Amino acid sequence: MSSLADRQAALVAALTSGAPVPAGFDGRMVEIARVALLRKRAGEVAGQWPALSAALGTDWLREWSAWAETRPTNGSLRDGWDFARDLLSRDALPREAGAELASREAALRYDGKTSPRARRLPAIRSAAGTVALQILGRVRVLYRN
Amino acid sequence: MDTWGISGPTFLLWYVVALVAVGVLAAAHRKVLFGGSRHTSVAALGPQQVAYLNGGRRLALYSSLAGLRGAGVLGTSPDKTLAQTQRLPAGVTPLDTAVWNAAGHRLRARDLDKDQWVASALDQLQSGLEQSGHAVSPAQVKAARLWVFAPVALVVIGVARLIAGEINHKPTAFLFVLVFAATALALTMRKKNRWATEAAIKDMIKLRGQHSYLNPGQKPSYATYGATGAAMGVALFGAASLYDMDPSFAAEAEVQRQSVLGIGSSGSGSNFTSDNSGSSCSSGSSSCGGGGGCGGGGCGG
Amino acid sequence: MTPVEYGVGIGWRPEIAGYVEHLPGLRFVEVVAESVHDVLPPGLETLLSRGVTVVPHGIRLSLGGAEPVDPARVEHLAAAAALLGAPLVSEHIAFVRAGGVEAGHLLPVPRTRESVDAVVANVKRTQAALDIPLALEPIAALFDWPDDDLDEGAFLTEILNRTDALLLLDVANVYANALNRGTDPLALFSRIPLERIAYCHVAGGSLHDGVYHDTHTAAVPQEVLDLVASLCSLHRPPALMLERDGDYPPAAELTAELDAIAAASGYPAVTR
Repeated sequence: MSSLADRQAALVAALTSGAPVPAGFDGRMVEIARVALLRKRAGEVAGQWPALSAALGTDWLREWSAWAETRPTNGSLRDGWDFARDLLSRDALPREAGAELASREAALRYDGKTSPRARRLPAIRSAAGTVALQILGRVRVLYRN
Repeated sequence: MDTWGISGPTFLLWYVVALVAVGVLAAAHRKVLFGGSRHTSVAALGPQQVAYLNGGRRLALYSSLAGLRGAGVLGTSPDKTLAQTQRLPAGVTPLDTAVWNAAGHRLRARDLDKDQWVASALDQLQSGLEQSGHAVSPAQVKAARLWVFAPVALVVIGVARLIAGEINHKPTAFLFVLVFAATALALTMRKKNRWATEAAIKDMIKLRGQHSYLNPGQKPSYATYGATGAAMGVALFGAASLYDMDPSFAAEAEVQRQSVLGIGSSGSGSNFTSDNSGSSCSSGSSSCGGGGGCGGGGCGG
Repeated sequence: MTPVEYGVGIGWRPEIAGYVEHLPGLRFVEVVAESVHDVLPPGLETLLSRGVTVVPHGIRLSLGGAEPVDPARVEHLAAAAALLGAPLVSEHIAFVRAGGVEAGHLLPVPRTRESVDAVVANVKRTQAALDIPLALEPIAALFDWPDDDLDEGAFLTEILNRTDALLLLDVANVYANALNRGTDPLALFSRIPLERIAYCHVAGGSLHDGVYHDTHTAAVPQEVLDLVASLCSLHRPPALMLERDGDYPPAAELTAELDAIAAASGYPAVTR
C-alpha cells in the first residue's frame, strides 16, 4: 500500500485535475463532491470577477466548469484572471467583461504563476475593445466599446 | 540692459509676491464662500443628499437608482430603457418617486435628468442642501472661479517676459518655474466639480468611516444592508458600488463608473488593486475560500 | 475555553460587517484567520474596542495532511491570535492540499491509526507555536476512505486525548454526516467528550441529488436547531455561533436565525 501522502495526492488529483478516482472510494460520492467543488469555485470567482460572470450569464457555470475541471485552484482572483485571459486568447471574452480585465491588467502585474502585484509605473492595457489606463494606482477606463 | 527696465531679481520678487497674494486671497475668499455652517451635520441627511454632496446631481440619481434597484422595484428592458418591476414602496423620497415614474415612460437612465419631474426633484434636493449650508451654490462656485483671471494674467505677463528675456539672452530658468506654478494655480481654480461645503466635507469623511462596511473593497452584502444600504453605498463610495451590487443592471443602465467624487475615494471602480487575501471571495480568507470547505462540496467546516 | 459563557455569536465576514457591528448583545465572533493581517478591518476594530472576543479560525493549515504543517502558516495563526487578543484559536481535522496541489476544499482524512498519528503530530507542532488553546473541528465529509477502521467518535476522542486540544463542534456537520451516511446524529454526542467543546458552529446547507451539502449559504434547517437543543440539554457549550459564508440574506433573516439559535440553546438573544 502506498503512503498516506501519495493517497491524499491521488484523491486531490481526482477532485481537481480530472484524474481517476482512487480504488475503493465511492465513485458516485466523489463525483458529487467534485462537481460541488467546481460550483463553489464558480461562486467565489464570480464574486471576484462580477462583470465576467455577469457577461457570461447563464453560460457562466458551464463555461467556467469546463475550463476549471482540469485546473486546480490558485485562489479566485487568479483563477478568474487565468480564465479571462484564456477566453481573450480564444477571442471569446465578452465585450462587457473587457473593462474588468483591462483595469486589472493595468493595475496589477500578473505573470500567471505567482500572486499579482501592484504596478508602480503607469500602464495602459486593453481587452475586448476596452482600454484602461493606470497612473499612481488609479485606474481610468479610457475607451469602452 | 534690463528687460522692460526692471531687473531680473526685482521682477522675480514681485512675481512671487503677486502669486502668493493671489493664492492667499483666493483661498480666503473660497473659505468664506465654501465654509458652510459648522452647526449643520450631515448625519441626519438621507443617502441621496449625501450623494449630491459627494458627486452632484448625477450621483444623487445613481443613489436613487441603487435604492430602487435594491428594493426590487426597478429593472431594465433589453433596449436599455428603465422599467418598473414592482410598485413603489412607502416612505420613498420625491426623487425616488420621480425616477420610478420616469421608468414607467421607458426612459434611459442617462436621460433621466431631462425628465422634468426628475429635474425638479433634483432642484428641490439641491436648493434644500444649499439653504441648510451643506452644499455650495452654482453662484458661489462661479464667484470662486472668477479668481482664475488673476493667475491667468500672471501667466500672460510671465510668458511675455520669458519671450522678451530670451530675445535679450537673459537667464529665464527661475521665471519659467514660476510661470509653471501660476499655470498650476490657474488650473486648480478652474475646477468646476464642487458640491459640498468645507464643513460638510469634514462631516462626510466621518460618515464614510462609520459606513466603511459599504466600501466596495469589503464586497458588502447589499441584500443584508437593504435598499438604504445600497443607496448609501453609492452616495459615499461612488457609482462603482452600483457595479458591484448589480453589474448587469449598472451596465444596462449605462451608469458611468467614474462619476466624479468630491472627496478622494475609490472612483476607479471595484477593488481592482486589492490582493487576493483581503476579500472573502478570494482563496485566502473566506472559510469557504480556496482551502476551505464549507461550500457546495459538503466537506463542511 | 475558559469557563466564561459567551452565548450566541456569529462568523464575522467583511460582507456583513455592518450588520455584525450593530448587534447590541454580541460577545464573541469568529474571523477567518487567513484574512487577518497587520491592519484590521475597521469593523473588527470597532468590535474589539467594545470588548467583543474575536477568535481566529484557520482554514488552510491542513492539519490532516500527511506532510508536516507549514511553519509559516502556523506562525500566521499565532500572530493573528496575538493581534486579536484571542483566548483560543481553531482549525479543522482535514487536509486541504497534497502533493503541492490545493484542493480548494476541506477533505476528510482516513480514520486509521496512521492518520491519527499524522493529525496528532501536526496538532502538536501547531500547539508548540501557540500560547493559547487550540480547538479542533471535525468536518462534514461527502465520502469516507475505504480503509477506515475507527468510527467517528473513537477517531475524534483519540485525537483529543492525545493532544489535549479542545473541540469545535459543528452541529450542522454532525447533521450532514448523519443524514448522508444514514446514521443517528444524536449517537455521536454520547461518543465524544462534550465537556471539551469550546464552541459550536451552526449553519445551513442544501440538498442536491439527494445529498446534503453543508454550504453555509442557506438558512439553518429546523433539524439542526433541534440538534442544538438536544446537545444543550446534554451539555450546553459555552458559545454557539451562526456560520454564514455566502448568499447573505436580508438583515431580518440573519436576526431571526441568531434568535432561533438563542432560543434553542437557552442563551439570551444578542439582537436586541
